[in-house]
Amino acid sequence: MLATLKVLTMDDMKDKSIHFTAQKLSEDIQNMKIYQAFYTEIQKLVSSPSVRKDDFKTTLLESMKKTGMETELRNTVFHWVRSHNNRDSDGITSIVREPLTYLRKAQLQWEKRIHKSLNSMCGELGVPLARLRQTTDKEELDEKWTELSTYDIDLSQYRPVYAPKDFLEVLLLIRSPNYRVMDDGVWDFTQIPLKVKSITELRGLYQELSRGEALLGVNPYMASSGSYPTLEAERTTLGEKVLLSNQAPVAQEFLKRGSPRCLRGRLWAQVLGSAVKQTHREYFAELKHLVLQHDLMVDKLIIKDVQLTASNDDQYFVFEDVLYQVMLCFSRDTEILSVFNHSSASPINAVLKSKAPSLENTVIYPPSGVIPFHGFTMYATPFCYLYDDPVALYHTLRAFYMRYWFRLHEVSSHPQGLLALCILFERLLQRHEPQLWMHFKLMNVQPIRVVFKWLMRSFSGHLPPEQLLLLWDLVLAYDSLEIQALLAVAILSFRRENLLQVNNQQNVEAVLADLSSIAVMPLLQLTLMRD
Amino acid sequence: MASTGNDGRKPYLNNGLNYGRSTSCNCSSRSNTTAATGPAAERPRVTYVTDLDKSVIVSNFDKRGWLQVSPEDDWNFYWAGTQTCRTLFSVDSGYRMNDNQMINHFPNTYELTRKDLLVKNIKRYRKELERDGNPLAERGDAPSRYLHLDFVPVTFVLPADYNMFVEEYRKNPQSTWIMKPCGKSQGAGIFLINKLSKLKRWSRESKTPFNPNLVKESYVISRYIDNPLLIGGKKFDLRLYVLITSFRPLKAYLFRLGFCRFCTVKYDASIQELDNMYVHLTNVSVQKHGGEYNSMHGGKLSVQNLRLYLESTRGKAVTERLFSNISWLIVHSLKAVAPVMANDRHCFECYGYDIIIDNKLKPWLIEVNASPSLTSTTVNDRILKYKLIDNILSVVLPPDGVPDTRWNKVPSPEALGNFELLLDEDLAAQDDQPRRSDNRTHSSRWK
Repeated sequence: MLATLKVLTMDDMKDKSIHFTAQKLSEDIQNMKIYQAFYTEIQKLVSSPSVRKDDFKTTLLESMKKTGMETELRNTVFHWVRSHNNRDSDGITSIVREPLTYLRKAQLQWEKRIHKSLNSMCGELGVPLARLRQTTDKEELDEKWTELSTYDIDLSQYRPVYAPKDFLEVLLLIRSPNYRVMDDGVWDFTQIPLKVKSITELRGLYQELSRGEALLGVNPYMASSGSYPTLEAERTTLGEKVLLSNQAPVAQEFLKRGSPRCLRGRLWAQVLGSAVKQTHREYFAELKHLVLQHDLMVDKLIIKDVQLTASNDDQYFVFEDVLYQVMLCFSRDTEILSVFNHSSASPINAVLKSKAPSLENTVIYPPSGVIPFHGFTMYATPFCYLYDDPVALYHTLRAFYMRYWFRLHEVSSHPQGLLALCILFERLLQRHEPQLWMHFKLMNVQPIRVVFKWLMRSFSGHLPPEQLLLLWDLVLAYDSLEIQALLAVAILSFRRENLLQVNNQQNVEAVLADLSSIAVMPLLQLTLMRD
Repeated sequence: MASTGNDGRKPYLNNGLNYGRSTSCNCSSRSNTTAATGPAAERPRVTYVTDLDKSVIVSNFDKRGWLQVSPEDDWNFYWAGTQTCRTLFSVDSGYRMNDNQMINHFPNTYELTRKDLLVKNIKRYRKELERDGNPLAERGDAPSRYLHLDFVPVTFVLPADYNMFVEEYRKNPQSTWIMKPCGKSQGAGIFLINKLSKLKRWSRESKTPFNPNLVKESYVISRYIDNPLLIGGKKFDLRLYVLITSFRPLKAYLFRLGFCRFCTVKYDASIQELDNMYVHLTNVSVQKHGGEYNSMHGGKLSVQNLRLYLESTRGKAVTERLFSNISWLIVHSLKAVAPVMANDRHCFECYGYDIIIDNKLKPWLIEVNASPSLTSTTVNDRILKYKLIDNILSVVLPPDGVPDTRWNKVPSPEALGNFELLLDEDLAAQDDQPRRSDNRTHSSRWK
């Protein structure tokens, strides 16, 4: 009796919550950019002969299905739910973005440091954070927009605000107040009690891989089970059907076994809802306009970062020019600010020059709220292989950033956050590679130090593009960054014999410097299928 | 969880402290010659001579335990310049090679590598096929266009074909032409013209006017591919390595690790930029002097990455067609010179093919180099060239690793390394007669 009662109230609450969610959803949809066009289309549909007055509901739904508007609506809801469901259970009602006080504090201090370092760089160089762009500069930038590698400015005084190494130090210094510190050494993250998945749980999450299903990226000539000459031919035909269906969840499911190269760009856009429409082009043009309007100090940091990373990289140097465009526009995009609704981070506020420090005189700096660090460009580089069009590249990059990458440079307890990934990596290594773990311990080298930059850049610039794209297929397909920690362990495991023969950090790094022979899919599958 | 795999690399400790992307070349080698040092104890050591003191060459010989000697000594393997090779084979030298000697060029390799002779040979090849009514020589709607053999830009030799050039020029006076001295390489002496008057002025001003009796140096003039495929707004060409172990029957192998060479400056077909060679020429030797040259990547992108980019942005079918057209072009350029090549059994040769892809994804053969540069511009370049030499040696040498001209020149699939078989006319002929009971390996054929 009591049990039924309980169930009833639970259901009640669920109903209520669904009701609230639906209300919020419809409000939000009405504020979306696509709403106007969608509404017009519906009106057209209603006045068309396919919708009858006597059976309005059925015929309308029927015609919406036929015209693909239903799919569009479903995809919109899918994307909305994904972007509002970052804390899995408590969902949209969560007000506290980071429940653990000591992590909130650590993040706050980290932000203050970044802020200070930005200000002091401005002071040293004698440049303001922001100013109106001078006409000559504006004209030059506009003229050279598609070949910004020739935009000649002296950046020798500019340094990246921080590098992965600096952020690692911040993470390693965090202490949970619930633990008494045993010794002063910061060897690993045992002091931070975050729950991470075990290998068994990971096997459950990455079922298709653990089950040993045929994957793309294992063997180019792998035979198909059906009547196709190769697995790739089979997956390509199926993938084309998936694209035709235009349904985001279907595309996401499809990616679990790897994408054929020729469909990847479109499949990713389908999962993320970033397929290019006219509004995207206008939006991108608007961002460019904003770049031309204001001369921000971060522009120099962005240009410097492209120069330091992509321009010197034999996999990406050809895309240098498009990367400048995309990264500059990224800094002006205020839609990115919405990540701060569920991120533990907060954007930096700056007070307008010669104005009183009041709320209305305060602006977020830069407009996107994201301060680039050394290697930030690498989040964008792999997309250059997928999209010729900077607009398409931009929107898929942005979608990736807002779903995943922002978590890789903030202090948070989120299971997708960099801290949790580090802990996951350590636990897996300790549990499943005890010999390696002991070896690291004896050398007094922290394993996390050698893999941290892989995790923070999501392996971009470390794996060759082809392999990286296969890894990111899995990030999207399983909607999780945990695969990165698993791959890091798998690589160490794979090179174990070589690692056991060296005995200092420099040589460990040398053993792991070249990942060009790593095949992501077979390695992951091997790791998940074992026992 | 545990894995004991080895990703095909040798142990990292092999070469002291040089690992990974560092300069050491501990790249995997599937050489069938490493045995030469062990069981070969009773055999004399393989001796070699090299004209080129490049570390990628010498370190490969050292790895095999070979002994360097001077040209006057008994040698088994000569890594020579083309001139040395020609001299060696000339009647005057009186040198006769024995069965255990090999050299890395064919004596008259210039039939393929001189720009004027290549064009002459291809023109002759097409005419012969046409005369025999071969469907390969089918012509398209435009009477001058071959459907399947139109893979070199329209080219004339100057001064000899001057009148023919003018005739062709008048058909399409808007197009740009590129002038190249026949005997020079690495982009030297090349310029673009878009007006006949410019050519005339050049002929007046140059020391060698178009008087056939006076001219020593001849030029080729080719229609300029003014619609190249651009990536990131920049022009590039492909450098592919092709290994020939015999011209008759033709045995040709393509190295998978070719690369694209990018211009450092954005492509601009406008007339103002016509004289800016950084826009038009992809030669590293030219680009190196540009202010924008980057020594970390040297403007080189791997062919694998080009393929990834094209398949992702243009689709699989067109990309496959492009790459099979490239193989087609290489095979037919070789067939065109095969009849005139001195097919000496001591010779093999690795050619550097320069190919430009236009924006319709059609490949064009620009030229063939007999001694492709073995200078390494970057770390990856060095690794690539080391592998190239290693794989060449493993393909041209018999399984026991000692040069021997009597072997059948059918390397095992393992010995191919990064080479793939383009064509082996011997094996292809056997395929045509499947009745013959022959226990030969059936692994490598047409690709």
